[in-house]
Amino acid sequence: MNDAFYQSFLEATRNVFHLMLDLDQLTEKHVQPDTAESSAETICIAIGVTGSLQGKITYIFPNDTTLKMVKIMSGGMEFSAVDDFVTSAIGEIANIISGKALIELSERKIACDILPPEVLPNGVPKGTGHCKEQNRVALHTDIGDIELDIQLEAQK
Amino acid sequence: MIWKEKYKLGVPLIDKQHEELFRRVNDFVETVRKPVPWIEKSKTINETMDFMKDYVVSHFHDEEMYQKEIGYPARKEHRKIHNDMVSYVVNIARQYEEDPGNEQLIQQFGGKLLAWLINHVASEDQKIADFVRSKEAAKHE
Repeated sequence: MNDAFYQSFLEATRNVFHLMLDLDQLTEKHVQPDTAESSAETICIAIGVTGSLQGKITYIFPNDTTLKMVKIMSGGMEFSAVDDFVTSAIGEIANIISGKALIELSERKIACDILPPEVLPNGVPKGTGHCKEQNRVALHTDIGDIELDIQLEAQK
Repeated sequence: MIWKEKYKLGVPLIDKQHEELFRRVNDFVETVRKPVPWIEKSKTINETMDFMKDYVVSHFHDEEMYQKEIGYPARKEHRKIHNDMVSYVVNIARQYEEDPGNEQLIQQFGGKLLAWLINHVASEDQKIADFVRSKEAAKHE
């Protein structure tokens, strides 16, 4: 994985959590793709990337963390299930993070576009390894751990 | 959905409109999430859809006029974000008119609107305030 791609997505995630959720403590920990396993209690949102980079970013949010994120955004409303409203709000968060990361990359002459968020009903396949530049990272936050599965390949 | 002081740009007209948008979207989200039959929510939802179609367009117009007035350099990119949102709102409103019982559509709209508005005001619009501050600082250097 090119470190520039990776850092752009991490920084964008930190930025969005800070601005939208008032969460400032995001601690990074690497995850081995071959051993990573998403539990059933997660929502996985994939954002396709086209242009100078090709591939996709998958955001893996535990259900409990997802509900807390939407609760913060709504100003304290209680959400008991990951339903259409919650999924749409979290899909938009994934979209916003990806958009910010790509703006940052475009300043370094890496021009890409993103595709609309897609919910992966079966989660992320573990240890796919089909992409040359692959990485997966977990971020610990005060409301739970989230993961980013970054599978991007630079086009020649 | 809570309006916060940190969202203020320091432009009274725009700040007032943002606050109103937050208030209306908050009412909309509370209505959409209420555990009552869909039919009981339809009046508020119809009103909000009408409000959003008109108010979003006029607010975006005012904001773009202000950007022009101050010579904001990223106004083309900002305008695209506005246009994309207007298209989205118009498209949802059209689908809702055709199928007023489509609760899934409105739940999805509510979720996206909540996240989109917070990000737009807390992040994208703050770049305008940053630009004004940097212009002011440059004047005093």
